[in-house]
Amino acid sequence: MTVLMQQTTTALNGQADAMVPETAVITRIQYEAPDIATYTLSFTDDHIREQYQFLPGQFNMLYLPGIGEVAISISSDPGQPGTLLHTIREAGNVTGALAKLKKGATIGVRGPYGSAWPVESAEGKDLIIVGGGIGLAPLRPAIYHVIRHREKYGKVTILSGAREPGDLLYPDEYDAWREHGIEVIVTVDRADKNWRGNVGVVPMMFYKMRPDGRKTVIFTCGPEIMMRFVVYEALARRIPKERIFVSLERNMKCAVGFCGHCQYGPFFLCKEGPVLSYDRVEPFFSVEEF
Amino acid sequence: MTNSIPMPGKHIVIAKDALQTLFSTLQAANYTLVGPTVREEAIVYEEIGQMDDLPVGWTDEQGPGTYRLEEAGDGRYFNYVVGPHSWKKFLYPPKLTLFSAQQNGDGVEFTANKESPQYAFIGVRGCELAAIAIQDRIFLEGQVTDPHYKKRRERAFILAVNCTQPGETCFCVSMQTGPKVKNGFDLSLTELDESFLLEIGSELGGEMLADCDWRPAGSYELNQSRQLMLDAEMRMGRSLDTADLPEILLDNLDHPRWDEVAERCLSCMNCTLVCPTCFCSDVQDVSDLTGGKTERVRVWDSCFNPDFSHVHGGNLRPNIRARYRQWLTHKLASWEAQFGTLGCVGCGRCITWCPVGIDLTEEAAAIRGGQS
Amino acid sequence: MLADKLRQNPWFKVLKPAHFQKLVEIATEVTWSEGQTIFREGDQHDYLYLIVEGRVALEKYVPNQGQITILTLGENDLFGWSGVMPVIGTRTTGARAVQPTVAIGFDSRRLREISEADHDLGYFIFRRLTNVIAGRLSATRLQLLNMYSQSTE
Repeated sequence: MTVLMQQTTTALNGQADAMVPETAVITRIQYEAPDIATYTLSFTDDHIREQYQFLPGQFNMLYLPGIGEVAISISSDPGQPGTLLHTIREAGNVTGALAKLKKGATIGVRGPYGSAWPVESAEGKDLIIVGGGIGLAPLRPAIYHVIRHREKYGKVTILSGAREPGDLLYPDEYDAWREHGIEVIVTVDRADKNWRGNVGVVPMMFYKMRPDGRKTVIFTCGPEIMMRFVVYEALARRIPKERIFVSLERNMKCAVGFCGHCQYGPFFLCKEGPVLSYDRVEPFFSVEEF
Repeated sequence: MTNSIPMPGKHIVIAKDALQTLFSTLQAANYTLVGPTVREEAIVYEEIGQMDDLPVGWTDEQGPGTYRLEEAGDGRYFNYVVGPHSWKKFLYPPKLTLFSAQQNGDGVEFTANKESPQYAFIGVRGCELAAIAIQDRIFLEGQVTDPHYKKRRERAFILAVNCTQPGETCFCVSMQTGPKVKNGFDLSLTELDESFLLEIGSELGGEMLADCDWRPAGSYELNQSRQLMLDAEMRMGRSLDTADLPEILLDNLDHPRWDEVAERCLSCMNCTLVCPTCFCSDVQDVSDLTGGKTERVRVWDSCFNPDFSHVHGGNLRPNIRARYRQWLTHKLASWEAQFGTLGCVGCGRCITWCPVGIDLTEEAAAIRGGQS
Repeated sequence: MLADKLRQNPWFKVLKPAHFQKLVEIATEVTWSEGQTIFREGDQHDYLYLIVEGRVALEKYVPNQGQITILTLGENDLFGWSGVMPVIGTRTTGARAVQPTVAIGFDSRRLREISEADHDLGYFIFRRLTNVIAGRLSATRLQLLNMYSQSTE
């Protein structure tokens, strides 16, 4: 039985007050897709920059003074915590303001927070990683981890979906992932004539997969509807609930379990989540407006 | 009468006006006194200076959706039911600057708010002590502690009061939080006809009585106090059956009762604001005109606020049904999984201050009674 | 040769030899080159296709947007099901090979005839088709939701 890795929330060492961010500088901006860019951040304080560590699936709170704060998952390699990447879609107030920032700008960062993809308990098993849209961002650290420890895993499959080909995240990396013996299946919801790849929603890609339910683990992140159908397809292939992991999104304000916004039944998604196994969220997964 | 220092666990008697001596001692020790006082036709908790500020001779009448201040004329100081305020407004202020951000050339500097007031709480009921203990679990006993709450909480002096005046909306007996205070106080007080009976809860509590004239309590006072507590227990206006309540509520997330209550609920947030345990908050930025300095301010929020569960793409709980369900299932169900206790202490505020008189004991009972 | 290819398909493994033979009799192998149009929306039906290898795109023409691919299909996928359903008279999408593709075509009219003549075989055929259509319907519903517009920050 797979045990969910309960990562303790580690606030940055520098501040006794978990709500006070540290400063970090944007050292690089890489445009990924329309409205999506990846920001490389570097802590101003040498000590923090050297000490900072995170687990795949965790997130940081990024703060822009005068604008606000937003929870963004970390999308870089946990084996290289000094290079801290966040892939951000321009979607709200804070992300909109972030998108206007240039290289060299200083922002506030606190974290990392939340639970992680259980990469260690998935060792020895087959792994299917399913990312929809920007949902691939919090999965990428897990992918890097798996590549770094490739021999510890069985068959590894990555399903990456997006609305249109131009919305696919990290397409330039797929071949590199394939070189590590990972099958990468890419699909889009719709495309024009120039697209030669798959068209069809992500859960459909399961139709042809024959995963071994006895030894397969699923990590999925994307729109909640997509994850729901990924879960149904996985269950139909006899993958047990406790080996299906979803990353849930709710409004987050404090990230340390005080503000109440991210509650999901008994869970504070900032602490017990965002990554949870399906057996734990099942009672609420299909309840409307929960 | 003597004025030595009474030891913890001891029961003593003081004349009513000797309470002023205690107040003065607390003030001399740099405590800001906060306690019940009459404001805008209600008994609220505010900063007080002396005994006369207490609601002497006042009481109130409460029911679902009603609160009326009344003159009792009995000269008693603590003969009222809890009002709209609770102590959380001091321990966990409705509006608090967490830190400030100062633009500094290309960079920015963050400075934490280290402010730490020292309060003496006058007149904390058993239900309210239980509420403070619940908020302790949230802000002090998790992996991360809230430094603002911690400082206020550690420095607070608590003068508790055994409740002799439960109201129409009270059910502390069901929640096992009152009417008698159990622990977690520096001093506890029972108001008798001619005197105050005090129990010493801590060494600090005893020390603050150094200037008071007191004598050990006799069996007359102890019996009278016991009788008052028994009377109070018998006068609970409400009750709540908590047996298996979390399971019952979480197994009935699609119960038709949620639709019925949603037709009455205005989603006004009164219940969460008056609740002594509700702890949800939002954070806002307040900038000066130049934009160079920003204060990050935490404010109370409510799960009834339509924006509460906003994520990009929309609000996850657009309907009142979902918001009321979130509140009740949190308070009486998932709270237990989160903090090892229900989130309700039976103070009845949410019933009294609901403008349409929605009664959570009635809602919980309806779902229990009609569970599928 | 054709029978061997059919036997490769997991679908046909469970079929009784007599039934299998009936299907072989109405089957033809077809190949399309990359980019070749297989049929157009509105065409009259002729064949139900089973892809042996390659990739086929189902397309709809949208004014101002051109041909939009709504689904791609590969090895062991069926397409052209609408031809077997008498209620639908014409092709509901266009189909185009996006790679060199080999498929086996089954004459739609004769599929209906052998199903009518032998309901056991007909049940097998229509159960397969229903599964395919159910999957397409479920996927189409998700596509309709345009789920990525509700995506996470």
